[in-house]
Amino acid sequence: MGMFDGLIMFGHSIASFMTPTAIGYALLASLVGLIIGALPGLTATMGVALMTTMTLTLQPNEAILILICTYVGAIYGGSRSAILLNIPGTPASAASCLDGYALARQGLAGRAMGIATSGSVLGTWIGMFFLATLTPVLGEVALKFGAYEFFWLAVFGVVISGNLTGDDPLKGWIAGFLGLFIATIGQEGLYAHDRFTFGYHDLSGGVALLPALVGAFGFAEVLTVMRDKPRDVVLNSFDTVIPRIRDVLQYWRTIIRSGVIGTGIGIIPGVGEDVAAWSSYAAARRASKEKELFGKGSVEGLMAAETGDNACVPGSVIPVLTLAVPGSAPAAVLLAAMLIHGVQPGPLIMINSPQFVFDVVAMMLIASIGILIYGLTLTNLLVKILQVPQTLVMPVIFVLCVVGSFALASRVFDIYVMLFFGIAGFLLRRLNYPMAPLVLGIVLGDLLDKNLRRGLVLSDGDLTPFFTRPISVVLFLLIAATVLLNIPVFHRAAVSLWKQASAPFRRTTRPDQPTSRRPHD
Amino acid sequence: MDDRKPSAFADFVSGACWVALAAAIMIGSWRMDRLEHLQASIYSAPGVVPGLIGAALALMGLVLMLRAWRAGALAGAGRPRIVWSEQARLLIAVALCLAFAIGLVGRGPPFWLAAAIFVAVTVFAFQFPERRAAGTLARGALVAVVYGLVAGYAVHYVFQELFLVRLP
Repeated sequence: MGMFDGLIMFGHSIASFMTPTAIGYALLASLVGLIIGALPGLTATMGVALMTTMTLTLQPNEAILILICTYVGAIYGGSRSAILLNIPGTPASAASCLDGYALARQGLAGRAMGIATSGSVLGTWIGMFFLATLTPVLGEVALKFGAYEFFWLAVFGVVISGNLTGDDPLKGWIAGFLGLFIATIGQEGLYAHDRFTFGYHDLSGGVALLPALVGAFGFAEVLTVMRDKPRDVVLNSFDTVIPRIRDVLQYWRTIIRSGVIGTGIGIIPGVGEDVAAWSSYAAARRASKEKELFGKGSVEGLMAAETGDNACVPGSVIPVLTLAVPGSAPAAVLLAAMLIHGVQPGPLIMINSPQFVFDVVAMMLIASIGILIYGLTLTNLLVKILQVPQTLVMPVIFVLCVVGSFALASRVFDIYVMLFFGIAGFLLRRLNYPMAPLVLGIVLGDLLDKNLRRGLVLSDGDLTPFFTRPISVVLFLLIAATVLLNIPVFHRAAVSLWKQASAPFRRTTRPDQPTSRRPHD
Repeated sequence: MDDRKPSAFADFVSGACWVALAAAIMIGSWRMDRLEHLQASIYSAPGVVPGLIGAALALMGLVLMLRAWRAGALAGAGRPRIVWSEQARLLIAVALCLAFAIGLVGRGPPFWLAAAIFVAVTVFAFQFPERRAAGTLARGALVAVVYGLVAGYAVHYVFQELFLVRLP
């Protein structure tokens, strides 16, 4: 497909959303997303899951529009509480706390919110650009995927997500493999044979993704918030929230770099906005001329974090569309919602429904306009909402968790699934197990199961195709490298090898270079 | 998320739990029907994948136990003591949520009423210490009931009437 065809399709998509209903839905959903994101304890995943329930009866395109606006709004909204309260509204805004709150303490909360608005909007646009250009390319590559490649892709997703989403890769991998196991419960895909159901009829259908997600990200969060005594809300005063053109022009390199990093992190399966924000922040700091300001109110740092996390949103949708593999936890909900509404994402999407891909790009644009509008206007209302005591908010959220998990299939059993995952998720998080790999494991389990067995049957038990086909061997090497680099002996060997190999190319050596992956560890 | 890292002892225990779960998964997978009567290839037997996942989980659980052991998990240091009074808020929250989701929903009262009761009781319970200290218990109860009714009806209206979603 040529660039021109793409632009025409994009134009069609934009035009199709220019109806009063669609615009109304988009504005409402962006607002709901913004509030969900701003309220600590309510994450984007939870928000998108609840909205999936609410939009079950709508037209597919309207429903997906609402979900994407909620997703973008929530990731942006998290910056508000990060700046005003020093509490990240969603995990994606944790990096924004460092400089956002520091700016607010200097009486510059308005400017900080302006930076967050411009960074988030521009980040969404950069991600959107890659969504439009990379999806067809990745779709082509995905067409070459056979059973062996899909098997490695599933393993790769769980391993890389486990490696990057927490600070303990081993626990991340355990969570991921636990997710893969949970996905095997119920009827398997080849012979419809019941596995681990113990004769319990409700388990035959398997563990549904959305109730599990609502439990792990909703109920678990409710318990976490209710457990702690509520803190007094101390708000900073703020100046004007209108973004300054100078902040954008001065840091255009940071914005583009963070946008590219954010999109890239989004594409990696199961690695979401929080990692995107931290990675962009760390990269900006490394490249910055004003390193000493980072953490003390750096405009550049806040810009990097906010651009990175919002660029991750379109990025995480790219693998959803091309491979049916979610790039982040909220994208997993989006994937489930697309399946519910009869859209079939996967390698064939550019052949069967290319228009849908550009519809999604258009939805991102509309969502970014939504957050821009609210970013400029709604500050006072949001400040009031942030002052509502959490004792009042959390019980209602739990009621919504119950509604959300029940309504999808009208099964009471799904409420129990939600309760189980809520309590298990709460305990696992207390023990430092990340939730994103677990969710990704549940999503990818079926892919892994079917394709491993299919591959083995095709090769009659011969393992060579798993290691000799070009894409397979690349995925396998990436997995092996990820695992080995976490084993101290191999890590040291790799570091010394790298030093020896790169010595001739370096002019100066920097012994003080930090080796830790993430700045907040 | 909590900033405190779990102790080595907690890691050791969770590692042991994973090994136990993995062993159960492997036994279950081994004993699973191999569908030979369907002439299915042994490689497509339903137990193959869960068995391999179980083996991977067992290995990782053992590594976690080993790591925790080397970090002094069994030396007695860092063994947690649960202070139940500190967990009171959590336990009350769990109890109320379970009572609502298992005991109330779909057991007779319409959903809006069940939700209203749950919200009112939870709000009152979690505001109780401050209300008692301030001597505004009666007002607190009234606020909780009104808020619960409004919340219950709002959820009912938005989902059932506006978006035509079935409620439990």
